[in-house]
Amino acid sequence: MKRVVSLVLPLLVLLLAAASCGGGGSSNGVVNITVWHGYEDVEGKAINDAAKRFNATHPKIHVTVQNYGNADYALQKVLTAIRGGAEPDIAYLYGSWAANIARSPAAVDLAPLIQSDPSINWNDFWPAERQAVQVGPKIIGVPALVDNLALVYNKKLFDQAGISYPSDNWTWDDFRAAAKKLTNTSTKQFGWAYVNDASEDTVWRFDALLWQAGGDILNSDNTKAEFNSPAGVKAATLLQQMATVDHSVYLDSGNGNYANLFNSGKIAMLFTGPWDLSSFTDVNYGVQILPGDLNHQTISGPDQWVMFDKGSARKQAAWTFLKWFTSPQQSLQWSLATGDLPIRQSTTQLPQYATYTKKYPGAATFVLNEANAAKARPVIANYNEVSQAMGQAIQAVLLGKAQPQQALDQAAQKVDSVLASGQ
Amino acid sequence: MRLRLPFSPRHLVLLPLSAVMLLPLAWMLLTSIQTLDESRHFPPQLIPSGIHWQNYPDAWNAAPFGRYFANSLIVTLASVVGNLVFCSLAGYAFARLHFFGRDVLFVVLLATLMVPFQVTMIPTFLIIKDLGLVNTLGALIAPNLVTPFGIFLLRQFFKTIPIELEEAARMDGCSRLGVLLRIVVPLSTPALATLAIVTFLWTWNDFLWPLIVITSPSASTVQLGLASFQGAHQTNWTLLMAGNVMALAPMLIVFIVAQRYFVQSLASTGLKG
Amino acid sequence: MIGRAARSEHVSGWLFVLPAVALIGLFGIVPIIWGAILSLQENDLLTPPTWVGLDNYRTLIHDPVFRASIHRTIVYTLLFVPLSVGGALAIAVLLNARIRFSRFYRTAVFIPVATSTVATGIIFNWLLEPTYGVVNYLLSFVGLGPYGFFQDPDQAMYSIVAMTVWGWLGFDVIVYMAALQGVPDELVEAAKLDGAGRWAIFRNVVFPLLSPTTLFLIVWSTINALQVFDEIYVTTRGGPLQATTVLVYYLFNQAFELFHGGYAAAIAYVLFLITLVFSILQLWVGNRRVYYS
Repeated sequence: MKRVVSLVLPLLVLLLAAASCGGGGSSNGVVNITVWHGYEDVEGKAINDAAKRFNATHPKIHVTVQNYGNADYALQKVLTAIRGGAEPDIAYLYGSWAANIARSPAAVDLAPLIQSDPSINWNDFWPAERQAVQVGPKIIGVPALVDNLALVYNKKLFDQAGISYPSDNWTWDDFRAAAKKLTNTSTKQFGWAYVNDASEDTVWRFDALLWQAGGDILNSDNTKAEFNSPAGVKAATLLQQMATVDHSVYLDSGNGNYANLFNSGKIAMLFTGPWDLSSFTDVNYGVQILPGDLNHQTISGPDQWVMFDKGSARKQAAWTFLKWFTSPQQSLQWSLATGDLPIRQSTTQLPQYATYTKKYPGAATFVLNEANAAKARPVIANYNEVSQAMGQAIQAVLLGKAQPQQALDQAAQKVDSVLASGQ
Repeated sequence: MRLRLPFSPRHLVLLPLSAVMLLPLAWMLLTSIQTLDESRHFPPQLIPSGIHWQNYPDAWNAAPFGRYFANSLIVTLASVVGNLVFCSLAGYAFARLHFFGRDVLFVVLLATLMVPFQVTMIPTFLIIKDLGLVNTLGALIAPNLVTPFGIFLLRQFFKTIPIELEEAARMDGCSRLGVLLRIVVPLSTPALATLAIVTFLWTWNDFLWPLIVITSPSASTVQLGLASFQGAHQTNWTLLMAGNVMALAPMLIVFIVAQRYFVQSLASTGLKG
Repeated sequence: MIGRAARSEHVSGWLFVLPAVALIGLFGIVPIIWGAILSLQENDLLTPPTWVGLDNYRTLIHDPVFRASIHRTIVYTLLFVPLSVGGALAIAVLLNARIRFSRFYRTAVFIPVATSTVATGIIFNWLLEPTYGVVNYLLSFVGLGPYGFFQDPDQAMYSIVAMTVWGWLGFDVIVYMAALQGVPDELVEAAKLDGAGRWAIFRNVVFPLLSPTTLFLIVWSTINALQVFDEIYVTTRGGPLQATTVLVYYLFNQAFELFHGGYAAAIAYVLFLITLVFSILQLWVGNRRVYYS
């Protein structure tokens, strides 16, 4: 049987040194640095343009940007490039890998740089972004992307059902009632959709609800699970009731159908992020902050630019580039070109910000919502094990195969033993 | 009274069966002629509003597919030739020759198929790296030049050839290699054609191994090229399907051409079924 | 057997297999030995490993997920092999006749095999989607369903069986069709003249002559069924509720999602042993009952 495997696959992609992109060093006073990224299409063009602009205005540094393919494989590609001494100066890596990349001595701890160079204006980045790059005392990256989950809804379906659009003080009860009213079994319309493949996609939506109910994923020193607290049970019970009693939730199996269904007018509400908006070409959608319980917290999924140590001259050059690239003006230009949310809070004060919000309807709400991303997921090396345990528990609850307390307790037991063994 | 149908009753089974088997191609074709917006619907719209042929040139131009097709063809043809040659030699030896350790060796070779590729791909990569072949077509060809599957397949086929023919040739002074080439191979065209098709299929569709060992577009294959249509958050379904249809084409051509090697010859009466 | 003739046969034999052995030795056997070493380590494949001897295996014995995955893998294999090999035999026999459109039918049967796993996964996800899928829609006309298929823990594995049989039938059909060419017409003619009916001809003439091929397909399908992964990855991802977490999926999850490379290699070796036992048994039984003309 041929081993043809699907693409979203974190495999061990071993990249040999010379083959790809070791390029760097300096020649006649110009320091060459390389930046690896996974941008395609619009974003790919944007980063090429940004590099050109930087090179034009910074004669002593030359930046080469290179696409490393799908960002899902980036961690392995980078770590094995390190083994071959061929890592780049800067690489775009998912936030969930922060704890793993921090274990490599080649990754630069930016804390001293940030301390000594206030021009980076570190606290201007959103709190969720700063939390995601903090691994213990180290800071292992500069924010590259920020997003969060908000409530995206189909205005027409709301109009048809005679319900007023979600407000910013909607409670869980309001949400549940609306979802029920917006569900119609004969037309196969659902009020809400939830990704139920037991992966992190399943978990992180639950995290937002957990935090809204006042709970936490782990305790403060990451040694024990806390998601099976009454707050967690409350959140899981909401999911259970909506899925198994109201039947108002479409359970997506992880293949992305929910986006197409929403676009076809079959689903009324989604908890999703800005990346999905461009697919909703046939829907007049609205964006609102998440319905809340004790608060309206949301969850953010930031990614970062990680710097690698290739000598002090290149480190300095890379730092200069990152400061420039993430400055408010450059970041706003990036947002205008790509639709990505601005990574700095001060960007909202710039005059051109209005152009951005006009060009990308809904973005403004996502930016406002970023302030609701008060908590972050634990930045630990074995987070995947926590995620898997929680994902399976939530999947069981949604399928009606387990009770919330029992499922969460079982998961907590698994997580506690993983955390204890330090594996 | 026996029911007399104007056509063979086989059609009653084969027609619905074919419909079920052809479903993917139909769906791929339909998606490949939609516009991107049309494709973002679920359930999929089965009746297209128009034929958006532009997807095909768009897919072709989205990446250097000319280069990719050439690379895939080179690698695949090399693998086919390699397998036909080496598996015939080995298969014949296992089928007809008595040599020390034969049966144990056969099981050992077969055993190499029993460890999942997910484990062996890492050390295989390290070997390729030591041979200096990373990121070259050689890396794609070398591990695929011979497979125990082919040896096993041909061994079984060769064993069904009447041994008298071979013995007669030997008595006429033919060398063992001669027997293989002049007696056995000509009688084994169906099996060889099967091996050729299957090897072509696997090498052409291989994705995981090229992904690991190839990093630059100059040595990339068609499957790697198709992967670029699937982004981190969104997939360009229409271009992906257009690309898949184009990638399917060479295999269908090979299959249709090779059919006559393992199909009923016209002279036969067809009573075997 | 001694003497020059025998010795030359030994030499010839080894010369014939030498190229294959050299290549497979390098690309097949060496990696397997490496994998065996890996199974004795605690290795996340990213940072330097530590030696733990047989600890991984000891942990495996007590691992309930591992035991469950063995069970699932074997259930899958016991369903997949007879369905695909038996079904292929029937189809090959049906196709082996001069009927109209035979070329079309043969090509149609081949297409699922030639289609990439990604495309196959997408299609089946759509077909078997519980709410909007085509299959439930059609079944509703005869009063059946709706079924959960990939989303129902009790049905997911059977849905995978259906999908993989669909995807691999054509392969077995090609092999059988090639083998059918080797059945001498004279034997069939002679049987017919003796007054044998279609079924008798098949049972007493054709099937025995196909037995080497049948053995081959059974062994080959078993080896592959025990390692099923790709189709599960593009549809159910080992779920729901781990209902489709077979051995290789569990291995993959351990190695590449949880970074337990050594543990994954240990799983691979247990799988290897299981496969070896199955294959040797089949070959042994087969070699006694297979008819080589």
